[in-house]
Amino acid sequence: MRVSRRIVTSLLMLSACAGGSSSSPNILRLALINDPILNPVLAPDVGSVLVNKVIFPGLVRPDEQLRPSPDLATSWTVSEDGKVYTFALRRGVKWHDGVPFTSRDVQYTFEQIRDPRAGGFLWSDYTAVERVETPDSFTVRFVLKTPVAAFLTLLGYNSGIIPEHAFHGKPVADNTGFNRGKPIGTGPFRVVGAVPGSSLTLEANPDYYGPKPGLAGLIFKLVPDANAQIAALRAGELDLVTLEPASFPGVRDVNGIAIRQATVPQHYFVGFNQRLPLFKPALVRRALDLAVNRQAIIDGVLKGAADLPVGTIPVALGQWFADSLPRAATDTVEALRLLGLAGWKRGADGRLRTARGELFQFTLRVDKGNPSREQSALALQQDWKAIGMDVSIETVEFAALVRDDLQPGKFDAILIWWTTPPDPDQYSYYVTGQINNNVAYSNRVVDSLLSAGRGETDTIRRRAIYHAFQATERADPPVLVLYYPREIQAMTSRLTGFPKLGIRDALRHVERFSLLPR
Amino acid sequence: MSGFGFFTRRLVQGLLILWIVTTATFVLMHLAPGGPAMLADPKLGPVERAAIEARLGINLPLPAQYLAWHRNLLAGDLGQSYLYQTPAGQTVLARVPNTLLLAGSALLLSLLIAVPFGIRAGLNPGGPTDRALDLVSFAALSLPTFWYGIVLIMIFAAVGHLLPAGGVATPGLETSVIDRLRHLILPVAVLSLPITAELYRYVRTGIVSVANAPHIPAARAKGLSEREITRKHLLRNALLPILTVIGLQAPMLVGGAAITETVFSWPGMGRLGVEAALGRDYPVVMATTLAVAVAVVGVNIVLDLLYRWFDPRLRIE
Repeated sequence: MRVSRRIVTSLLMLSACAGGSSSSPNILRLALINDPILNPVLAPDVGSVLVNKVIFPGLVRPDEQLRPSPDLATSWTVSEDGKVYTFALRRGVKWHDGVPFTSRDVQYTFEQIRDPRAGGFLWSDYTAVERVETPDSFTVRFVLKTPVAAFLTLLGYNSGIIPEHAFHGKPVADNTGFNRGKPIGTGPFRVVGAVPGSSLTLEANPDYYGPKPGLAGLIFKLVPDANAQIAALRAGELDLVTLEPASFPGVRDVNGIAIRQATVPQHYFVGFNQRLPLFKPALVRRALDLAVNRQAIIDGVLKGAADLPVGTIPVALGQWFADSLPRAATDTVEALRLLGLAGWKRGADGRLRTARGELFQFTLRVDKGNPSREQSALALQQDWKAIGMDVSIETVEFAALVRDDLQPGKFDAILIWWTTPPDPDQYSYYVTGQINNNVAYSNRVVDSLLSAGRGETDTIRRRAIYHAFQATERADPPVLVLYYPREIQAMTSRLTGFPKLGIRDALRHVERFSLLPR
Repeated sequence: MSGFGFFTRRLVQGLLILWIVTTATFVLMHLAPGGPAMLADPKLGPVERAAIEARLGINLPLPAQYLAWHRNLLAGDLGQSYLYQTPAGQTVLARVPNTLLLAGSALLLSLLIAVPFGIRAGLNPGGPTDRALDLVSFAALSLPTFWYGIVLIMIFAAVGHLLPAGGVATPGLETSVIDRLRHLILPVAVLSLPITAELYRYVRTGIVSVANAPHIPAARAKGLSEREITRKHLLRNALLPILTVIGLQAPMLVGGAAITETVFSWPGMGRLGVEAALGRDYPVVMATTLAVAVAVVGVNIVLDLLYRWFDPRLRIE
């Protein structure tokens, strides 16, 4: 027993010493769920995207209203026809290894992005680019095949610039040393250490071209479990995490932790497969829409962390969102009237039938394991059952849902979401026959509005086009927009300078972050 | 049979097991719905999809992929991880020290607790200690790791601020033994709990059954002291099966600590394997499976050899 007492004593000593040493001053610690790929051209996942925003600035960056503002480019001009963008690059910028940044790096980055074999994920954003020219070391000219109104927004979204000299002409994906350990960017922080599976340490870049970073460094810690992230935040080992609504109670009213909600450019929706005769009529899709009690889902499932929708353009998009249109509302009487017009009558048993006695039956698919989405699906099922529809739910792993159901168009109804750049261009999602139009929606007015909107460079005219698009969506909804989620951010109340944006966009302003002394 | 012949035969059997395990994994992995996580981006168009599939080599028919895996294995190449874009073999090997540290500490702690308590309870079956430990060990076996782990983190890290909530070391701090030990305490406590309970039950049962064997009264009749009976005739016979139990625990310790590793953000092989399986990172799934299978087969061969050394009866043909 004497031995075990000694063990206990030494364990206690261990736990007592150096309790707070982990919280070095002015270093912000953030959570990641997996090892990031430190290359904006290759990175497919959210975690990598976050880290890369800190290391690799783009030509422009979104400001607090998500409008493009200068970054590696100090100014730009657009030709009359909207097809030639000429950027004046910032002079005196150095890569993290001291090599000067030039127009050739920009050209190289877009060569990699536009080569599908390079393994990048940004290819489809830049299909309209015909060529990238470098008239001199500090000028870059993009020549487009057709005008792209979203072009500046796309440049500021995920398109960080990478250094040509670091790749020696070899494929970008093969440079494991760069992509996994020692990336070279031009951003306010540079990587000084990477421990696979554990953490990534960055320090302020003394040569940064912008304002001197307010933080001495950043640490990205790998904490894969959401509950463990919250525990680490409460233990003072993480300074900022984003949460699922279900985790709200774990951080609310905790001393020293501030909770914020930010609107983000996402829309969650139920897609109805319009290849099926059941969902073809707009009347039926409008009825499905009117039957849903969104407020109950937002309050009950999402703990209030979402906004009622108008159409597929979320409120986070500011001026592009049609604020003047009414938000979606519940009206089961109207829903049943519309269904009646489409040939569906409720029988004595309360179930909807056609004149030939067919039942209104379909399966709603949702990805497995996310409580908010699984519970939303259950609430939807109840709402539709209440007006006589026969709805079953199937949960499928996300990767299988996307690859085996969504993309081949093999589903009745699917609960999923789109995360978009902060631009209203939804051409690829809702124009007839486009690659992301998985629900096979087709409306000629929408086709012409979305085609016109993507090329319109005049902001006022462009806004009118997208507001008209949202009005058209009310009469013929492409999908049932469920809500616009808000990102729930739990952070130490010592953190200042964090803009009112989702973390993806907020990290583009990381040099303004700072931690108040304890 | 000579020790050497025995060893070679076990080695050949081991290789056969490895082949069966990897083949089964390959088949199951491709039978599962979905595909590599990087292809799960709903925005991907057909051009990007085809380019990615070609780069990963998953556009080839399955038998060709299966043969290619073996061909590359013989050349010492386990392929490139899809998720990490690093060589799969190297990615798995980098996690081995963390896994050995966690698993080794947990096993050691379990033995230190389970053996003395098991002996104590087994020598007085039905006594108050036995009954109390019976309850405790069943409770320990039934605690779900993810819940118990989070509870410990909340108590010792979030509220008590005594121990770190996770990770192997404090990032940005110089490596120190104390820092490493502090990070080790909670995950070891969680991982070793069910193992301790299980080992305890085996030790106790072993003692009880040997105590009732005829050779014990015989030794007593011979006039040996109780102390000597316990030491020479009881413990030696009763503790041998523990070796087998340790062998059974090996796969759980090496590959199955995934939940503990996830809750405590511990970069071990279990978590790597689960993440690879969820992300359909085929090369890493194969490499992890191979590593765990090698470890299990290796441990069992060593245990068999130890058995022959401990138990002279096994050396006689």
